Amino acid sequence: MLSGVGIICFTASYGVALVLELTRLLFRSGIRGALLLGFTGAGLLAHSLFLYYRAASAIGSPLSSEQDWYLWAAWALAGTYLYLTYYHPRTAFGLFVLPLVLALIGVAVFLADPQPFARKPASQVWAAIHALSILLAVVAVLVGFVAGVMYFQQARRLKRKLPPPRRLRLPSLEWLDRANSRAIVVSTLMMGVGVLSGVLLKLINHAGQTDSVPWNDPVVLSTMILFGWLVLAVAIGLIFKSARAGRKVAFLTLASFVFLVVVLGVGLLMDTQHGGKNRSPTPACHSPCTVEGGTS
Amino acid sequence: MKVRVVGCSHHNVPIDVRERLAFSPRQSQAALEELRRKSPKLEAVLISTCNRVELYMATENATALSRAEVAEFFARFHGLKPDEVFEQLYERTGAEAVRHLFAVAASLDSMVVGEPQILAQVKQAYQLATEQECVGPLTHAAFQAAVKVARRVATETSIHERRVSIPSVAVADFAQQIFERFDDKRTLLIGAGEMADETLRYLRDEGARDVTVVNRNAGRAEELAAKWRGRAVPWDRLGDVLTSADLVISTTGAERPVVSLDLFREIEPARYRWPLFVLDLAVPRDFDPAIGQRPGVYLYSIDDLRTACQQNRHQRDKELPAAIRIVQQEADRFMAELHHRATGPVIRQLKQGWQKPKEEELHRLLNKLPELDDRGRDEIRQSFDRLINKLLHPPLESLRRESRHGIPHALLDALAKLFQLKD
Repeated sequence: MLSGVGIICFTASYGVALVLELTRLLFRSGIRGALLLGFTGAGLLAHSLFLYYRAASAIGSPLSSEQDWYLWAAWALAGTYLYLTYYHPRTAFGLFVLPLVLALIGVAVFLADPQPFARKPASQVWAAIHALSILLAVVAVLVGFVAGVMYFQQARRLKRKLPPPRRLRLPSLEWLDRANSRAIVVSTLMMGVGVLSGVLLKLINHAGQTDSVPWNDPVVLSTMILFGWLVLAVAIGLIFKSARAGRKVAFLTLASFVFLVVVLGVGLLMDTQHGGKNRSPTPACHSPCTVEGGTS
Repeated sequence: MKVRVVGCSHHNVPIDVRERLAFSPRQSQAALEELRRKSPKLEAVLISTCNRVELYMATENATALSRAEVAEFFARFHGLKPDEVFEQLYERTGAEAVRHLFAVAASLDSMVVGEPQILAQVKQAYQLATEQECVGPLTHAAFQAAVKVARRVATETSIHERRVSIPSVAVADFAQQIFERFDDKRTLLIGAGEMADETLRYLRDEGARDVTVVNRNAGRAEELAAKWRGRAVPWDRLGDVLTSADLVISTTGAERPVVSLDLFREIEPARYRWPLFVLDLAVPRDFDPAIGQRPGVYLYSIDDLRTACQQNRHQRDKELPAAIRIVQQEADRFMAELHHRATGPVIRQLKQGWQKPKEEELHRLLNKLPELDDRGRDEIRQSFDRLINKLLHPPLESLRRESRHGIPHALLDALAKLFQLKD
């Protein structure tokens, strides 16, 4: 029914939106805003239908595989971009957000494992909470990263006393600062819920066993380090008033992104028991055609 | 069918002359009333701003007021000598008048090219003329088109975004890039320079409310604080108010910096690196330039702002030809439509002239074919209509094409003679 709606459809839509964003650097246009909303909206619709189709027909619940998880993360980030573009049509958010959306889709298609996570019926709710909260934490870190990069670019221009480039509009430092601070808080809260639900999930699945939580698993370990870093970042802001705004918050969000890349890299490339899988260090080649429901 | 503008602007007369010829809203209303009484068929819109006083007139059949008549009208209204006024006025007619209106609305004829207020003033002038029942189809079309042109220029060029005055650049290109809103920010005014006044006005327009004034002269500080509904603070509390400020405008006449790096370092820990926007408009500078290197401080001197202004002016000049091209294109299109409207009576007569024989022939044919059902009759009727349209298409297209260069009087005469059209 929806087999024609594939990864290539929404990837192409986001790709066109990115090209349209790039044209901001070249010329002004009265219709670019409408085209951007149109292509991103169409891409998001196709993306939603694709994910719905996968959840409904093949696997039974969303976020049930590593591949799904990356596609949902891309969907959430694309949705954030659409929202921002609708309310701030003259700001070039797409130049920063869309490459991340396309990168997440790329990882989903070429690197992520399409095999479903091992689940027991009793722990499905906790598994969903775990996956969803980690996903939201990751999206918040990515949004914070984008806001951090924009902050440094804007601050650099202002320090150099240059007029704002008309073709690459950025939000004010105050707006970016607020986005950074919120991103750190949201990502920490969501990561906390994710870690807690992950522990509970393990305890439920391995009831009665003494070593139920594999703390030394690379994914678990790196996730805990990321969580620890996020808690530290929030604590720094709470303790030191001067770290609540400006460059320091932007630095914290950039560092969070680096930690996130490490965690995702570990999850993709290293041998891990996380999610009930056991994989050799060499990533399996998942061609796009293995994605169920896709036409790519 | 004529469009004419008579008036004066900052291009040809100094401000003292413009002031004497300017119309307040109430005077504009009275002037339009008088014009309507005097020439009921004349469409008129009076634009009066600090940079121009212009009377736009349009008429289908009546005669628009000449430059001398407008000079007399203005002179009588303001109690001046007509000859004196006549010398100060320019006159533009037809396509030139339309092009001028479009350029005015798009802010290409303004003293500060690209300033946004003029479009609102043009709209207000048109609104007032509408209320006074002085507008008609021509002025309606021209002013609607002018608004459209202004929007097109604003969309397709960045001419309106290029600020060229120091206070506007300071606020729009820098302060608004640091702060999202100003109603929750604390503004500190050090000194009482003229440019501070103007900058503060821009900031007030953006919502700044909390103003603190520090001045060596306590009386002057109180005076300025009363003017800006702020509070005056003694000079020796400069460090305290600087600690809590978000925006600082400094314009003292001091010979050495009033805020040294040492003073700033003293208050810096209490600021917790919250952003501080400093406009140092004083010469010599009030803030030690090294303060600009401190984290969270965005310090701009008058020279920094002047450089930004020059860059903006340069960029704006580069965009000006594109904006002029848009005005030209739209004026040509408007005039072509206007000329084409003048051919309306001939087109109407042509169409009506062909209708009668068509109906007669159709009637005769259908009477001869009584066996035809409704569908067959409709087919024949539609066939006749298509034939008429095809026959009329070449002359109508020729009229449209010729209208681009003016009212095609020769072609209209030829058509009238060929098809025996009567007025």
